[in-house]
Amino acid sequence: MAEELLRKTFQVRGRDFDKAGETAAEIKQILKGLGIDSGLIHRAVVIAFEAEMNVVMYASEGTITFVLTDEDIRLEITDNGPGIENIEMALTEGFSTASDEMREMGFGFGMGLPNIRKNSDGFNIESQVGVGTTVAAMIGLDSSA
Amino acid sequence: MPEPTHGFRIDEQKCGGHLACMRACPTQAIRVKEGKARLLPRLCIDCGSCLQVCPSGAIQATTRSFAEIDKFKYKVAVPSPALFGQFPLVISPEHIVAGLQGLGFDAVWDFAVELALVNRAILDYVDNWQGPHPLLSVSCPVTVRLVQVLYPAMVEQLIPIEVPRELAGRELKQKYSAELGLAPDEIAAIYITPCQAKTISILEPAEGAESNLDGAIGISDVYNDILALTRTPEERGMRASLKSLIGSVELLRWSTSQGQGRILGHHRYMSVTGLSNVVQVFDDIEKGKLRNIEYLECHACWGGCVGGNLTVDNTYVTLSKIHHLLSELPDDDPRLEAEVERRYAQESFSLKGRVTPRATENTVADLKERVKQMKAQEAVFKALPGLDCGLCGAPSCKTFAKDVAEGSARPSECVFFSDQRLKQLRQTYLRGKKPPPESKP
Repeated sequence: MAEELLRKTFQVRGRDFDKAGETAAEIKQILKGLGIDSGLIHRAVVIAFEAEMNVVMYASEGTITFVLTDEDIRLEITDNGPGIENIEMALTEGFSTASDEMREMGFGFGMGLPNIRKNSDGFNIESQVGVGTTVAAMIGLDSSA
Repeated sequence: MPEPTHGFRIDEQKCGGHLACMRACPTQAIRVKEGKARLLPRLCIDCGSCLQVCPSGAIQATTRSFAEIDKFKYKVAVPSPALFGQFPLVISPEHIVAGLQGLGFDAVWDFAVELALVNRAILDYVDNWQGPHPLLSVSCPVTVRLVQVLYPAMVEQLIPIEVPRELAGRELKQKYSAELGLAPDEIAAIYITPCQAKTISILEPAEGAESNLDGAIGISDVYNDILALTRTPEERGMRASLKSLIGSVELLRWSTSQGQGRILGHHRYMSVTGLSNVVQVFDDIEKGKLRNIEYLECHACWGGCVGGNLTVDNTYVTLSKIHHLLSELPDDDPRLEAEVERRYAQESFSLKGRVTPRATENTVADLKERVKQMKAQEAVFKALPGLDCGLCGAPSCKTFAKDVAEGSARPSECVFFSDQRLKQLRQTYLRGKKPPPESKP
Protein backbone atom coordinates (compact mmCIF):
# COMPACT_ATOMS: atom_id res chain seq x y z
CA MET A 1 0.00 0.00 0.00
CA ALA A 2 1.43 3.33 -1.05
CA GLU A 3 2.09 5.84 1.69
CA GLU A 4 0.77 9.35 1.17
CA LEU A 5 3.51 11.95 1.65
CA LEU A 6 1.97 15.20 0.47
CA ARG A 7 -1.48 16.46 -0.52
CA LYS A 8 -2.49 19.85 -1.92
CA THR A 9 -5.80 21.05 -3.27
CA PHE A 10 -6.08 23.95 -5.70
CA GLN A 11 -9.23 25.84 -6.68
CA VAL A 12 -9.63 26.66 -10.36
CA ARG A 13 -12.07 29.32 -11.55
CA GLY A 14 -13.86 28.78 -14.84
CA ARG A 15 -13.48 31.39 -17.61
CA ASP A 16 -10.42 32.80 -15.88
CA PHE A 17 -8.04 32.60 -18.83
CA ASP A 18 -5.76 35.15 -17.25
CA LYS A 19 -4.86 32.84 -14.34
CA ALA A 20 -4.98 29.62 -16.34
CA GLY A 21 -1.82 27.58 -15.92
CA GLU A 22 -0.99 28.75 -12.40
CA THR A 23 -1.93 25.48 -10.73
CA ALA A 24 0.24 23.59 -13.18
CA ALA A 25 3.08 26.00 -12.41
CA GLU A 26 2.68 25.50 -8.65
CA ILE A 27 2.68 21.74 -9.00
CA LYS A 28 5.81 22.02 -11.07
CA GLN A 29 7.52 24.11 -8.39
CA ILE A 30 6.68 21.53 -5.73
CA LEU A 31 7.94 18.59 -7.78
CA LYS A 32 11.06 20.45 -8.84
CA GLY A 33 11.78 21.43 -5.24
CA LEU A 34 11.56 17.76 -4.34
CA GLY A 35 14.07 16.85 -7.01
CA ILE A 36 11.66 14.60 -8.93
CA ASP A 37 12.96 13.42 -12.33
CA SER A 38 12.44 16.16 -14.94
CA GLY A 39 10.69 13.80 -17.37
CA LEU A 40 8.11 12.88 -14.74
CA ILE A 41 7.64 16.56 -13.85
CA HIS A 42 7.04 17.35 -17.49
CA ARG A 43 4.32 14.72 -17.73
CA ALA A 44 2.67 15.86 -14.50
CA VAL A 45 2.72 19.48 -15.66
CA VAL A 46 1.14 18.59 -19.01
CA ILE A 47 -1.62 16.68 -17.22
CA ALA A 48 -2.22 19.49 -14.74
CA PHE A 49 -2.21 22.13 -17.46
CA GLU A 50 -4.62 20.31 -19.77
CA ALA A 51 -6.92 19.54 -16.86
CA GLU A 52 -6.79 23.13 -15.69
CA MET A 53 -7.63 24.35 -19.19
CA ASN A 54 -10.60 22.00 -19.38
CA VAL A 55 -11.97 23.45 -16.16
CA VAL A 56 -11.31 27.02 -17.31
CA MET A 57 -12.94 26.43 -20.70
CA TYR A 58 -16.01 24.44 -19.72
CA ALA A 59 -16.84 24.77 -16.02
CA SER A 60 -17.55 27.61 -13.61
CA GLU A 61 -15.34 26.05 -10.99
CA GLY A 62 -13.28 23.01 -10.19
CA THR A 63 -10.57 21.62 -7.97
CA ILE A 64 -7.28 19.96 -8.72
CA THR A 65 -5.96 17.69 -6.00
CA PHE A 66 -2.31 16.79 -6.11
CA VAL A 67 -1.13 13.81 -4.09
CA LEU A 68 2.41 12.50 -3.81
CA THR A 69 2.95 9.04 -2.39
CA ASP A 70 6.16 7.11 -2.08
CA GLU A 71 5.20 5.30 -5.28
CA ASP A 72 3.43 7.76 -7.54
CA ILE A 73 2.11 11.22 -8.36
CA ARG A 74 -1.71 11.44 -8.47
CA LEU A 75 -3.83 14.21 -9.87
CA GLU A 76 -7.58 14.33 -9.44
CA ILE A 77 -9.57 16.98 -11.24
CA THR A 78 -13.21 17.56 -10.44
CA ASP A 79 -15.43 20.19 -12.03
CA ASN A 80 -19.06 21.22 -12.14
CA GLY A 81 -19.04 21.63 -15.92
CA PRO A 82 -21.63 20.36 -18.41
CA GLY A 83 -20.35 16.79 -18.28
CA ILE A 84 -19.27 14.71 -21.26
CA GLU A 85 -21.92 12.91 -23.30
CA ASN A 86 -19.65 10.57 -25.19
CA ILE A 87 -16.47 9.84 -23.29
CA GLU A 88 -14.99 7.63 -26.00
CA MET A 89 -15.35 10.46 -28.51
CA ALA A 90 -13.86 12.97 -26.06
CA LEU A 91 -10.79 10.76 -25.76
CA THR A 92 -10.21 10.82 -29.52
CA GLU A 93 -7.32 13.02 -30.60
CA GLY A 94 -8.60 16.07 -32.43
CA PHE A 95 -12.19 15.78 -31.25
CA SER A 96 -13.22 19.07 -29.69
CA THR A 97 -16.31 20.98 -28.66
CA ALA A 98 -14.33 24.19 -28.13
CA SER A 99 -15.64 27.49 -29.47
CA ASP A 100 -13.84 29.45 -32.18
CA GLU A 101 -12.87 31.95 -29.51
CA MET A 102 -11.04 29.25 -27.53
CA ARG A 103 -9.28 27.99 -30.64
CA GLU A 104 -8.18 31.51 -31.46
CA MET A 105 -6.45 31.59 -28.08
CA GLY A 106 -4.55 28.44 -28.98
CA PHE A 107 -6.68 25.97 -27.03
CA GLY A 108 -9.41 23.52 -27.85
CA PHE A 109 -7.63 21.45 -30.47
CA GLY A 110 -9.06 18.27 -29.04
CA MET A 111 -5.80 17.21 -27.45
CA GLY A 112 -6.69 17.85 -23.81
CA LEU A 113 -8.04 14.52 -22.57
CA PRO A 114 -5.97 12.45 -25.02
CA ASN A 115 -2.86 14.28 -23.77
CA ILE A 116 -3.77 13.57 -20.16
CA ARG A 117 -4.26 9.90 -20.90
CA LYS A 118 -1.09 9.70 -22.97
CA ASN A 119 1.00 11.12 -20.12
CA SER A 120 -0.51 8.96 -17.35
CA ASP A 121 0.33 5.45 -16.22
CA GLY A 122 -3.17 5.15 -14.78
CA PHE A 123 -6.19 7.06 -16.02
CA ASN A 124 -9.84 7.16 -15.12
CA ILE A 125 -12.68 9.45 -16.14
CA GLU A 126 -16.20 9.68 -14.81
CA SER A 127 -18.74 12.14 -16.08
CA GLN A 128 -22.43 12.85 -15.67
CA VAL A 129 -24.17 15.20 -18.05
CA GLY A 130 -25.42 18.28 -16.20
CA VAL A 131 -23.42 17.46 -13.06
CA GLY A 132 -19.71 17.46 -13.85
CA THR A 133 -16.61 15.48 -14.62
CA THR A 134 -13.91 13.83 -12.53
CA VAL A 135 -10.59 12.85 -14.08
CA ALA A 136 -7.99 10.86 -12.16
CA ALA A 137 -4.46 10.47 -13.49
CA MET A 138 -1.48 8.67 -11.99
CA ILE A 139 2.21 8.68 -12.83
CA GLY A 140 4.43 6.03 -11.29
CA LEU A 141 7.64 7.43 -9.80
CA ASP A 142 9.70 4.58 -11.24
CA SER A 143 8.15 4.83 -14.71
CA SER A 144 9.89 6.50 -17.57
CA ALA A 145 8.44 7.56 -20.89
CA MET B 1 30.61 16.18 -9.02
CA PRO B 2 32.93 19.07 -9.88
CA GLU B 3 31.43 22.53 -9.47
CA PRO B 4 30.85 24.32 -12.76
CA THR B 5 33.39 26.97 -13.76
CA HIS B 6 32.07 30.49 -14.18
CA GLY B 7 32.95 33.44 -16.37
CA PHE B 8 33.59 35.89 -13.55
CA ARG B 9 34.89 36.10 -10.02
CA ILE B 10 34.05 38.07 -6.90
CA ASP B 11 36.95 40.01 -5.39
CA GLU B 12 36.55 39.58 -1.61
CA GLN B 13 38.74 42.59 -0.86
CA LYS B 14 36.55 44.92 -2.89
CA CYS B 15 33.18 43.39 -1.98
CA GLY B 16 31.24 45.70 0.33
CA GLY B 17 28.42 43.23 0.94
CA HIS B 18 25.90 45.63 -0.60
CA LEU B 19 23.36 42.89 -1.49
CA ALA B 20 22.81 44.39 -4.95
CA CYS B 21 24.20 41.31 -6.71
CA MET B 22 22.17 38.99 -4.50
CA ARG B 23 18.96 40.84 -5.33
CA ALA B 24 19.72 41.00 -9.05
CA CYS B 25 20.49 37.30 -9.45
CA PRO B 26 17.67 35.58 -11.39
CA THR B 27 18.49 32.11 -10.06
CA GLN B 28 19.12 33.04 -6.40
CA ALA B 29 22.73 31.92 -6.71
CA ILE B 30 24.26 34.50 -4.35
CA ARG B 31 24.25 34.72 -0.56
CA VAL B 32 25.94 37.42 1.50
CA LYS B 33 27.64 36.01 4.57
CA GLU B 34 29.73 38.09 7.00
CA GLY B 35 29.39 41.06 4.69
CA LYS B 36 30.80 39.23 1.64
CA ALA B 37 29.00 37.92 -1.43
CA ARG B 38 29.34 34.20 -2.05
CA LEU B 39 28.37 32.30 -5.18
CA LEU B 40 26.51 29.00 -5.28
CA PRO B 41 28.18 27.74 -8.46
CA ARG B 42 25.55 25.13 -9.34
CA LEU B 43 22.82 27.73 -9.61
CA CYS B 44 24.82 30.36 -11.51
CA ILE B 45 23.91 30.70 -15.20
CA ASP B 46 26.59 33.28 -16.08
CA CYS B 47 24.11 35.98 -17.01
CA GLY B 48 26.29 38.72 -15.55
CA SER B 49 23.38 40.51 -13.83
CA CYS B 50 25.50 40.72 -10.65
CA LEU B 51 28.45 42.17 -12.50
CA GLN B 52 26.42 45.09 -13.78
CA VAL B 53 24.88 46.12 -10.47
CA CYS B 54 27.87 45.78 -8.11
CA PRO B 55 28.50 49.27 -6.66
CA SER B 56 32.04 48.32 -5.61
CA GLY B 57 33.19 46.92 -8.94
CA ALA B 58 34.07 43.72 -7.11
CA ILE B 59 32.78 41.33 -9.76
CA GLN B 60 35.02 40.93 -12.77
CA ALA B 61 34.54 38.97 -15.98
CA THR B 62 37.31 36.49 -16.61
CA THR B 63 38.45 36.83 -20.19
CA ARG B 64 41.79 35.98 -21.78
CA SER B 65 44.74 38.31 -21.54
CA PHE B 66 46.87 39.05 -24.58
CA ALA B 67 49.86 37.51 -22.79
CA GLU B 68 48.07 34.15 -22.58
CA ILE B 69 47.38 34.19 -26.30
CA ASP B 70 50.98 34.98 -27.21
CA LYS B 71 52.03 31.38 -26.73
CA PHE B 72 50.21 30.41 -29.94
CA LYS B 73 52.09 30.60 -33.25
CA TYR B 74 49.18 31.95 -35.26
CA LYS B 75 46.41 34.02 -33.71
CA VAL B 76 43.04 34.48 -35.35
CA ALA B 77 40.37 36.86 -34.05
CA VAL B 78 36.75 35.79 -34.52
CA PRO B 79 34.84 38.99 -33.89
CA SER B 80 31.25 38.89 -32.73
CA PRO B 81 29.14 40.80 -35.23
CA ALA B 82 28.25 43.12 -32.34
CA LEU B 83 31.80 44.53 -32.49
CA PHE B 84 31.13 46.30 -35.77
CA GLY B 85 28.36 48.47 -34.36
CA GLN B 86 30.41 49.78 -31.44
CA PHE B 87 32.38 52.51 -33.17
CA PRO B 88 31.50 55.89 -34.70
CA LEU B 89 30.42 55.33 -38.30
CA VAL B 90 33.59 56.99 -39.67
CA ILE B 91 35.37 53.90 -38.42
CA SER B 92 34.37 51.25 -40.93
CA PRO B 93 34.45 47.47 -40.51
CA GLU B 94 37.67 47.56 -42.55
CA HIS B 95 39.27 49.82 -39.94
CA ILE B 96 38.14 47.54 -37.18
CA VAL B 97 39.72 44.55 -38.89
CA ALA B 98 42.94 46.53 -39.37
CA GLY B 99 42.74 47.53 -35.71
CA LEU B 100 42.52 43.90 -34.59
CA GLN B 101 45.56 43.08 -36.72
CA GLY B 102 47.33 46.04 -35.17
CA LEU B 103 46.66 44.47 -31.78
CA GLY B 104 48.65 41.40 -32.75
CA PHE B 105 46.16 39.09 -34.46
CA ASP B 106 47.55 37.47 -37.60
CA ALA B 107 44.12 37.15 -39.17
CA VAL B 108 40.50 38.09 -38.62
CA TRP B 109 37.77 35.59 -39.44
CA ASP B 110 34.43 36.65 -40.91
CA PHE B 111 32.07 33.81 -40.02
CA ALA B 112 29.31 34.74 -42.45
CA VAL B 113 29.60 31.34 -44.16
CA GLU B 114 29.31 29.48 -40.84
CA LEU B 115 26.29 31.61 -39.99
CA ALA B 116 24.60 30.74 -43.23
CA LEU B 117 25.42 27.06 -42.70
CA VAL B 118 23.97 27.09 -39.20
CA ASN B 119 20.85 28.87 -40.42
CA ARG B 120 20.36 26.17 -42.97
CA ALA B 121 20.93 23.39 -40.45
CA ILE B 122 18.38 25.03 -38.13
CA LEU B 123 15.80 25.26 -40.88
CA ASP B 124 16.32 21.56 -41.71
CA TYR B 125 15.98 20.61 -38.07
CA VAL B 126 12.80 22.64 -37.57
CA ASP B 127 11.38 21.12 -40.77
CA ASN B 128 11.83 17.61 -39.43
CA TRP B 129 11.22 18.03 -35.69
CA GLN B 130 8.45 15.81 -34.31
CA GLY B 131 8.91 16.56 -30.60
CA PRO B 132 7.44 19.30 -28.40
CA HIS B 133 7.49 22.90 -29.57
CA PRO B 134 8.97 25.44 -29.57
CA LEU B 135 12.56 24.52 -30.31
CA LEU B 136 14.93 26.91 -28.51
CA SER B 137 17.98 28.67 -29.89
CA VAL B 138 21.33 27.83 -28.27
CA SER B 139 23.51 30.73 -29.36
CA CYS B 140 23.07 32.55 -26.04
CA PRO B 141 24.92 30.50 -23.37
CA VAL B 142 22.85 32.14 -20.62
CA THR B 143 19.48 30.98 -21.91
CA VAL B 144 20.91 27.48 -22.38
CA ARG B 145 22.10 27.43 -18.76
CA LEU B 146 18.79 28.90 -17.62
CA VAL B 147 17.06 25.87 -19.14
CA GLN B 148 19.56 23.49 -17.50
CA VAL B 149 19.04 25.02 -14.08
CA LEU B 150 15.41 26.19 -13.93
CA TYR B 151 13.63 24.40 -16.78
CA PRO B 152 15.18 20.91 -16.84
CA ALA B 153 12.13 19.40 -18.55
CA MET B 154 12.80 21.63 -21.57
CA VAL B 155 16.36 20.51 -22.36
CA GLU B 156 15.20 18.36 -25.27
CA GLN B 157 13.77 21.50 -26.87
CA LEU B 158 17.22 23.11 -27.11
CA ILE B 159 18.13 22.76 -30.77
CA PRO B 160 21.22 20.52 -30.97
CA ILE B 161 22.90 22.52 -33.71
CA GLU B 162 26.40 23.92 -33.22
CA VAL B 163 26.73 27.72 -32.95
CA PRO B 164 28.47 29.64 -35.76
CA ARG B 165 31.41 30.79 -33.63
CA GLU B 166 32.27 27.17 -32.83
CA LEU B 167 32.09 26.13 -36.48
CA ALA B 168 34.30 29.11 -37.28
CA GLY B 169 36.90 27.82 -34.80
CA ARG B 170 36.85 24.38 -36.44
CA GLU B 171 37.06 25.71 -39.98
CA LEU B 172 39.77 28.28 -39.43
CA LYS B 173 42.01 25.77 -37.69
CA GLN B 174 41.66 23.37 -40.59
CA LYS B 175 42.28 26.07 -43.13
CA TYR B 176 45.29 27.70 -41.50
CA SER B 177 46.92 24.50 -40.40
CA ALA B 178 46.77 23.26 -44.00
CA GLU B 179 47.96 26.58 -45.43
CA LEU B 180 50.70 27.28 -42.93
CA GLY B 181 51.80 23.77 -42.05
CA LEU B 182 50.99 24.28 -38.37
CA ALA B 183 49.34 21.87 -35.93
CA PRO B 184 45.77 22.91 -35.06
CA ASP B 185 46.79 23.50 -31.44
CA GLU B 186 49.42 26.00 -32.53
CA ILE B 187 46.64 28.16 -33.89
CA ALA B 188 44.56 30.27 -31.52
CA ALA B 189 40.93 31.01 -32.36
CA ILE B 190 39.94 33.88 -30.10
CA TYR B 191 36.38 35.12 -29.95
CA ILE B 192 35.96 38.87 -29.54
CA THR B 193 33.01 38.66 -27.22
CA PRO B 194 30.16 40.97 -26.24
CA CYS B 195 29.63 39.16 -22.91
CA GLN B 196 31.43 37.04 -20.32
CA ALA B 197 28.91 34.23 -20.85
CA LYS B 198 30.51 33.36 -24.21
CA THR B 199 33.81 33.02 -22.39
CA ILE B 200 32.36 30.39 -20.15
CA SER B 201 30.71 28.63 -23.07
CA ILE B 202 34.23 28.24 -24.45
CA LEU B 203 35.85 27.17 -21.17
CA GLU B 204 33.04 24.79 -20.29
CA PRO B 205 30.45 24.19 -23.02
CA ALA B 206 26.96 23.29 -21.75
CA GLU B 207 26.96 20.15 -23.89
CA GLY B 208 30.01 18.85 -22.03
CA ALA B 209 32.26 18.68 -25.10
CA GLU B 210 35.39 20.67 -25.84
CA SER B 211 35.20 24.05 -27.55
CA ASN B 212 36.88 24.70 -30.90
CA LEU B 213 37.80 28.16 -29.66
CA ASP B 214 40.74 28.92 -27.39
CA GLY B 215 39.33 31.78 -25.40
CA ALA B 216 37.63 35.11 -25.62
CA ILE B 217 38.56 38.75 -25.26
CA GLY B 218 35.90 41.29 -24.38
CA ILE B 219 34.89 43.96 -26.87
CA SER B 220 35.60 46.51 -24.15
CA ASP B 221 39.19 45.22 -23.95
CA VAL B 222 39.94 45.99 -27.60
CA TYR B 223 37.74 49.06 -28.05
CA ASN B 224 40.17 51.80 -27.00
CA ASP B 225 43.07 50.31 -28.92
CA ILE B 226 41.10 50.07 -32.13
CA LEU B 227 39.89 53.62 -31.62
CA ALA B 228 43.47 54.82 -31.07
CA LEU B 229 44.66 53.20 -34.29
CA THR B 230 42.12 55.13 -36.31
CA ARG B 231 42.23 58.52 -34.65
CA THR B 232 43.60 60.70 -37.45
CA PRO B 233 41.89 61.46 -40.77
CA GLU B 234 44.93 59.98 -42.56
CA GLU B 235 44.54 56.71 -40.76
CA ARG B 236 40.84 56.71 -41.45
CA GLY B 237 41.61 57.50 -45.09
CA MET B 238 43.21 54.09 -45.51
CA ARG B 239 39.71 52.65 -45.75
CA ALA B 240 39.89 52.63 -49.53
CA SER B 241 43.04 50.56 -49.50
CA LEU B 242 41.74 47.87 -47.17
CA LYS B 243 40.20 44.71 -48.44
CA SER B 244 36.63 44.43 -47.35
CA LEU B 245 36.04 41.59 -44.92
CA ILE B 246 32.29 41.78 -44.80
CA GLY B 247 30.89 40.92 -48.20
CA SER B 248 27.17 40.81 -47.51
CA VAL B 249 24.52 41.40 -44.90
CA GLU B 250 24.83 37.88 -43.50
CA LEU B 251 27.24 38.48 -40.61
CA LEU B 252 25.83 41.74 -39.32
CA ARG B 253 22.22 40.63 -39.54
CA TRP B 254 22.95 37.94 -36.95
CA SER B 255 23.70 40.61 -34.37
CA THR B 256 20.19 41.99 -34.50
CA SER B 257 17.90 39.98 -32.25
CA GLN B 258 15.44 39.17 -35.01
CA GLY B 259 18.33 37.77 -37.02
CA GLN B 260 17.01 34.25 -37.39
CA GLY B 261 13.38 34.98 -38.23
CA ARG B 262 14.15 35.56 -41.88
CA ILE B 263 15.58 32.11 -42.46
CA LEU B 264 12.67 30.10 -41.15
CA GLY B 265 10.28 30.74 -43.99
CA HIS B 266 6.74 29.63 -43.20
CA HIS B 267 7.58 28.33 -39.71
CA ARG B 268 6.15 30.19 -36.74
CA TYR B 269 9.00 32.11 -35.15
CA MET B 270 9.35 34.29 -32.09
CA SER B 271 12.21 36.33 -30.69
CA VAL B 272 12.60 37.35 -27.08
CA THR B 273 15.38 39.39 -25.46
CA GLY B 274 16.09 40.40 -21.87
CA LEU B 275 16.42 37.79 -19.15
CA SER B 276 13.19 38.73 -17.32
CA ASN B 277 11.26 38.40 -20.58
CA VAL B 278 12.94 35.10 -21.38
CA VAL B 279 11.91 33.79 -17.94
CA GLN B 280 8.29 34.83 -18.57
CA VAL B 281 8.24 33.12 -21.94
CA PHE B 282 9.92 29.96 -20.58
CA ASP B 283 7.32 29.86 -17.78
CA ASP B 284 4.59 29.92 -20.41
CA ILE B 285 6.27 27.20 -22.46
CA GLU B 286 6.63 25.02 -19.40
CA LYS B 287 2.93 25.42 -18.65
CA GLY B 288 2.22 24.11 -22.13
CA LYS B 289 1.46 27.44 -23.78
CA LEU B 290 3.12 28.72 -26.97
CA ARG B 291 3.03 25.28 -28.56
CA ASN B 292 2.19 26.82 -31.90
CA ILE B 293 5.55 28.65 -31.98
CA GLU B 294 8.04 26.37 -33.74
CA TYR B 295 11.31 28.16 -33.08
CA LEU B 296 12.17 30.59 -30.33
CA GLU B 297 15.24 32.75 -30.58
CA CYS B 298 16.18 33.88 -27.09
CA HIS B 299 18.85 36.21 -25.78
CA ALA B 300 19.47 37.10 -22.16
CA CYS B 301 20.61 40.62 -23.02
CA TRP B 302 18.17 43.31 -24.00
CA GLY B 303 18.32 43.80 -27.75
CA GLY B 304 20.40 40.63 -28.20
CA CYS B 305 24.20 40.36 -28.25
CA VAL B 306 24.63 44.07 -29.03
CA GLY B 307 23.44 44.61 -25.45
CA GLY B 308 26.12 42.35 -23.95
CA ASN B 309 27.85 43.45 -20.77
CA LEU B 310 31.26 43.72 -22.42
CA THR B 311 30.04 46.04 -25.17
CA VAL B 312 30.81 49.73 -25.03
CA ASP B 313 28.18 51.72 -26.87
CA ASN B 314 24.49 52.00 -26.01
CA THR B 315 22.47 49.04 -27.32
CA TYR B 316 20.07 51.12 -29.37
CA VAL B 317 22.75 53.35 -30.85
CA THR B 318 24.63 50.18 -31.82
CA LEU B 319 21.54 48.74 -33.48
CA SER B 320 21.02 51.95 -35.40
CA LYS B 321 24.60 51.86 -36.65
CA ILE B 322 24.28 48.22 -37.66
CA HIS B 323 21.13 49.01 -39.61
CA HIS B 324 23.08 51.75 -41.39
CA LEU B 325 25.96 49.38 -42.15
CA LEU B 326 23.48 46.80 -43.43
CA SER B 327 21.95 49.33 -45.82
CA GLU B 328 25.33 49.76 -47.49
CA LEU B 329 25.89 46.05 -48.06
CA PRO B 330 24.60 43.88 -50.89
CA ASP B 331 21.84 41.43 -49.91
CA ASP B 332 23.41 38.48 -51.67
CA ASP B 333 26.93 37.34 -52.07
CA PRO B 334 27.28 34.66 -54.75
CA ARG B 335 30.66 33.55 -53.39
CA LEU B 336 29.11 32.96 -50.00
CA GLU B 337 26.21 31.03 -51.52
CA ALA B 338 28.60 28.79 -53.41
CA GLU B 339 30.71 28.16 -50.32
CA VAL B 340 27.62 27.29 -48.25
CA GLU B 341 26.45 24.93 -50.97
CA ARG B 342 29.81 23.19 -51.04
CA ARG B 343 30.27 22.84 -47.28
CA TYR B 344 26.70 21.99 -46.28
CA ALA B 345 26.90 18.59 -47.88
CA GLN B 346 30.28 17.78 -46.31
CA GLU B 347 30.13 18.89 -42.70
CA SER B 348 28.32 17.96 -39.54
CA PHE B 349 26.48 20.69 -37.69
CA SER B 350 25.29 18.74 -34.68
CA LEU B 351 26.29 19.76 -31.18
CA LYS B 352 29.15 17.56 -30.03
CA GLY B 353 27.31 16.46 -26.90
CA ARG B 354 23.89 16.49 -25.29
CA VAL B 355 22.77 19.30 -23.04
CA THR B 356 21.44 17.76 -19.83
CA PRO B 357 19.77 19.26 -16.75
CA ARG B 358 22.18 20.49 -14.09
CA ALA B 359 21.77 18.88 -10.67
CA THR B 360 20.96 21.85 -8.47
CA GLU B 361 18.27 20.74 -6.06
CA ASN B 362 17.98 18.55 -3.09
CA THR B 363 20.73 16.04 -2.70
CA VAL B 364 18.92 14.00 -0.04
CA ALA B 365 18.28 10.59 -1.55
CA ASP B 366 15.12 9.51 0.26
CA LEU B 367 11.90 11.01 -1.10
CA LYS B 368 10.23 10.88 2.30
CA GLU B 369 13.08 12.93 3.76
CA ARG B 370 12.80 15.43 0.94
CA VAL B 371 9.08 15.89 1.55
CA LYS B 372 9.85 16.39 5.23
CA GLN B 373 12.39 19.03 4.31
CA MET B 374 9.89 20.78 2.06
CA LYS B 375 7.30 20.84 4.84
CA ALA B 376 9.93 22.23 7.21
CA GLN B 377 10.69 24.90 4.63
CA GLU B 378 7.02 25.85 4.43
CA ALA B 379 6.82 26.07 8.21
CA VAL B 380 9.89 28.35 8.38
CA PHE B 381 8.53 30.50 5.57
CA LYS B 382 5.21 31.00 7.36
CA ALA B 383 7.03 32.33 10.40
CA LEU B 384 9.04 34.88 8.42
CA PRO B 385 7.91 38.51 7.90
CA GLY B 386 7.81 38.19 4.09
CA LEU B 387 9.60 41.52 3.52
CA ASP B 388 12.46 40.06 1.47
CA CYS B 389 14.77 42.60 3.14
CA GLY B 390 17.81 40.46 2.43
CA LEU B 391 19.53 41.21 5.75
CA CYS B 392 19.80 37.49 6.49
CA GLY B 393 22.01 37.22 3.44
CA ALA B 394 19.47 35.42 1.25
CA PRO B 395 17.56 37.22 -1.53
CA SER B 396 14.07 36.46 -0.25
CA CYS B 397 12.27 35.00 2.76
CA LYS B 398 11.45 32.01 0.58
CA THR B 399 15.08 31.31 -0.26
CA PHE B 400 16.04 31.83 3.38
CA ALA B 401 13.41 29.28 4.46
CA LYS B 402 14.89 26.83 1.97
CA ASP B 403 18.41 27.45 3.26
CA VAL B 404 17.22 26.91 6.82
CA ALA B 405 15.42 23.68 5.92
CA GLU B 406 18.52 22.42 4.14
CA GLY B 407 20.73 23.39 7.05
CA SER B 408 22.88 26.05 5.34
CA ALA B 409 21.32 28.91 7.36
CA ARG B 410 20.00 29.32 10.91
CA PRO B 411 16.68 31.00 11.82
CA SER B 412 18.62 33.39 14.07
CA GLU B 413 20.16 34.96 10.97
CA CYS B 414 16.83 36.77 10.44
CA VAL B 415 16.96 40.17 12.17
CA PHE B 416 13.33 39.78 13.24
CA PHE B 417 14.30 36.85 15.43
CA SER B 418 17.64 37.98 16.77
CA ASP B 419 18.95 41.21 18.29
CA GLN B 420 22.36 39.63 18.11
CA ARG B 421 22.08 39.47 14.33
CA LEU B 422 21.18 43.16 14.18
CA LYS B 423 24.17 44.02 16.34
CA GLN B 424 26.41 41.99 14.10
CA LEU B 425 25.08 43.74 10.98
CA ARG B 426 25.70 47.15 12.62
CA GLN B 427 29.31 46.15 13.17
CA THR B 428 29.73 44.93 9.61
CA TYR B 429 28.06 47.80 7.84
CA LEU B 430 28.23 50.87 10.14
CA ARG B 431 31.76 50.26 11.44
CA GLY B 432 31.33 52.50 14.45
CA LYS B 433 29.29 55.23 12.70
CA LYS B 434 26.95 57.15 15.02
CA PRO B 435 23.27 57.75 14.20
CA PRO B 436 22.45 61.23 12.80
CA PRO B 437 20.92 63.67 15.33
CA GLU B 438 17.11 63.66 15.68
CA SER B 439 15.54 66.90 14.45
CA LYS B 440 13.50 68.62 17.15
CA PRO B 441 9.87 69.39 16.44
